[in-house]
Amino acid sequence: MIKILQITKKYSTVTALDAVTLEVQRQEFFGLLGPNGAGKTTLMNLLVGYFNPDGGTITIDGDNVTQDTLEIRKKIGFVPQSLALYDELTAQENLEVFGQLFDIPRKLLKQRIEEQLNAVELYERRKDKVKTFSGGMKRRLNMIASLLHDPKVLLCDEPTVGVDPQSRNAIFDFLTSLNKQGKTIVYTTHYMEEAERLCSRIGIIDHGKIIALGTVDKLLEKLTYEETIAIIKNPSTANNRAAFETFGTLLEEDDHYELKPAEGFLLSKFFADIEKQGIKYSWVELQRPTLEALFLQLTGRRLRD
Amino acid sequence: MKQVYRLFKSSYRIFWNDKVSVALTFIVPLVLMTIFGAVFGGSDSGPQGIRIAVLNQSTSPVAKSIESSLDTIKAFHVIKSFKTDSGKTVIFDTLSIQEYVRNEKAAAALVLPPDTYADTSVGLYVKFYFDPKNDMEMQTVRGLIQQAVFSQFPSVMAQSGLRQAERYLGIKPGSAFNRNMASLIHKYFKVDTNIILHPSLSNLRITNNDSARGNANFLNNIVRIENQQLVGKEMKNQWATRSVGGWGIMFLMFTLTATSSSLFDERRSGVLMRMLTSPVSRTHILWNKYIFNMSLGIIQLLFMFVFGWLMFQVDIFSNFLNLMLVIIAASVACTALGMLIAAFSQTRQQANGLGTLLILSMSAIGGAWFPTSFMPSTVQFFSKLTVVYWAMEGFLEVLWRGVGFISILPDLAILFGIGALLNIVSVRQFRKGHIFD
Repeated sequence: MIKILQITKKYSTVTALDAVTLEVQRQEFFGLLGPNGAGKTTLMNLLVGYFNPDGGTITIDGDNVTQDTLEIRKKIGFVPQSLALYDELTAQENLEVFGQLFDIPRKLLKQRIEEQLNAVELYERRKDKVKTFSGGMKRRLNMIASLLHDPKVLLCDEPTVGVDPQSRNAIFDFLTSLNKQGKTIVYTTHYMEEAERLCSRIGIIDHGKIIALGTVDKLLEKLTYEETIAIIKNPSTANNRAAFETFGTLLEEDDHYELKPAEGFLLSKFFADIEKQGIKYSWVELQRPTLEALFLQLTGRRLRD
Repeated sequence: MKQVYRLFKSSYRIFWNDKVSVALTFIVPLVLMTIFGAVFGGSDSGPQGIRIAVLNQSTSPVAKSIESSLDTIKAFHVIKSFKTDSGKTVIFDTLSIQEYVRNEKAAAALVLPPDTYADTSVGLYVKFYFDPKNDMEMQTVRGLIQQAVFSQFPSVMAQSGLRQAERYLGIKPGSAFNRNMASLIHKYFKVDTNIILHPSLSNLRITNNDSARGNANFLNNIVRIENQQLVGKEMKNQWATRSVGGWGIMFLMFTLTATSSSLFDERRSGVLMRMLTSPVSRTHILWNKYIFNMSLGIIQLLFMFVFGWLMFQVDIFSNFLNLMLVIIAASVACTALGMLIAAFSQTRQQANGLGTLLILSMSAIGGAWFPTSFMPSTVQFFSKLTVVYWAMEGFLEVLWRGVGFISILPDLAILFGIGALLNIVSVRQFRKGHIFD
C-alpha cells in the first residue's frame, strides 16, 4: 500500500530523515515510535506531499507522491498534530469548509458530516463554536475533519497530544474501529503504550533512521532479557537503590523503579537479598519488558529524553 | 521593591526582544516625524511647485510688480503660456487660463486685467480662478497671492495720493503735501519715504512682518480680488467629496494588511497545513487570499462611499461606473501591497508592524493627510510611487471633477501596474516558502 524507499530529507545542515525504507501493508495499523525530533512528523509531511524529499521515492497504491500530489491526497486523510480548526466557526461549519476541499457532492458531504459527528459523539454540539469545546472534543473533531472524503489511508501525527485519558481511550477505540473497517493507518507517537496498544507493527525511529521494525513481540525478542522487575518507590526501596543495582540496570520512573536484569540474574538470589533488607514482596512485581526498554537498549536513551 | 525592580527589568527584556514593539515605539514615530518635519519644519520646508497660471493684461508697473513677485515665491511654479494640441506655445487669454485650471493643469490662476491699476484707480483689481480640489493647498495659495498683491499697496496708495494731491492742490502745495503724506505713510506703514517720493518698483519686496499683516487687514477693503471657483461649485458637500477617497484608501490598506496576515494565523493553528494536505496547492491558497482580499476591499470601499452618500451627500452615482473602476483598481493595488507585506514578514506581529509603518508613511507622503505640494521635491517624487497618491487622484478625478474613462485611464493603469508589480514580487517571495514551512 505505502512504499517508502531510501527517503532522505535535510533542513539546511540537519538530516531529518536518512535513507528511510519502509513498507506499510493494506489495512495495517502501523506505528512509528520515536522521541521528539526523531523525524516522525517529517516522514508524515513527506507521505502527504507537504514537502518534497531530497532523495528517494514514496508511492501510495502505486502512485508517486511527489508527482501526483493533489490526486494522491484524495486517498489520504491527515490528522495533524496541531488542532487545525477555525475556532470562530461551529463544528459543522469547520467540517463543511474542509470537506468541500475534496470536492464531495453536497448531499453526500452532509451525510458524512452527520455520520462522523455521531461517531465521535459530537453531533449534539455541531452548532457550537469550536472555541467553546474542550481539548478532547477538539481532538475528536480534528480527527473526523480528515475522514470526510473516506480516505483509504489515515495518517495520524501524534493525535492525542494534550488529551485527557478518557478522550484518549475514545480516540483509540475510534481508530481501532476505523482499522477494522479496512482503513490503513499510520500512527506516530512517542508514547510506547499507545504504540503497543494500537499498532500491529511498529517502526522505531531515532535521528532520522529506522532502528527497529516489526510486530511488538518480534521487537521485544531483540531484548537481552525477557522480564523486568518493577519495584514500588518508597523510603525503604529508595534506601536500597545500590543493592538493586547489583542485579542489573535500574531506571527511575515516576512512581517505581524498573530493574533490567543483568546476565546471570537469579530470581531466588534477588528475593533472598531484598528480604534481608526488609523489603516486602508486595512491593516487587515481575513485568513483561516494554518497547521503552528496547529503545533504551538500542539507543542508550529513553523515549522521553 | 526588589520584586518591582525584577519585574521592571524583565518587562524591558521582553519589550526589547519584541522587535515589532520596538519598531512601533521608535521607528514608526521617527519616520513620521521626519515626514512632518520635512513638510512643516526646517529651512527647506513649506509648499513647493504649486502650479499657478498667470495672465497679465495690464500695462501698469504695479501689475508687472505683482507678476514679478509671484515669480519669486518658492511655493509657486508660475506658468504664463501653454502648449496647444499642435504643440504651439501660446500665451494665456481669459478663457484658456480658466480651461487650464479646469483641466487640472494648474491649481489656480491669477488674472491681472487691463484695469488692474489705472491712473484713475484708487485700488487694485485682480481675478482669481481656482480649483479647491485640495482645500489646504488652496488656502495656502490664496494667502500667498493676497500677500503678493497687498505688498504692492503702500506704494500704490502713495502714488495715488500724490496724483490726487497734484490734481487738486497744484504742484508746489502738492510737494509739501507729498512730504507730509510720505511721513504719515512712513509712520503708520513703515515704508521708506524715499521709496514713496521716488518710487521704483525694483525696491519693492514682499514683506512678511507684523506691520505688513496689519496693513493687509486695512487693505482688504480696498484691494478687490474677484474669486471664482471653477470646479466643484455644485457639490453639496465639498469637504466630504474631497476627503472620502483618502480616508477610504487608508482604512482599506489597514484591512487588507490584516486579512493578508491571516495566513500566519492559519499557519500557527495548522489550518494551512490541513489545507495543503488536501487537494489544494500553495498557488490555490494564494489565489484565494488575493481574490478574497480584493473583493473585501471593493466591498469596504463601496460601503464607505455609500455611507458618504447617505451621511454627507457625496454624489457617487453620477459617475458610478468610473468610480467602480477606480475602486477596483485601488483594491487590486492595496491587496497586492497587503500580500507583499505578508510575503516579507515572518510572523503576524512583524506583518502588523511593517504594515503600520508602510501605511502611515504612504498615507503621509501620498497626500492623504496634507497636500503633496507641501513636501520637498524629493518627497514629492516618492509620493508618486505610492498607491495612496494614485488612488486619491483617481477618486478626485471621478468624484470631484466628474471626468470620464479616458481621463482616469492613467490612474487606473498605474494602480493596476503597481498591483501587478507587487504581486510578482510577492509570489516570488512566497515561493521561497517560509510561510509554508
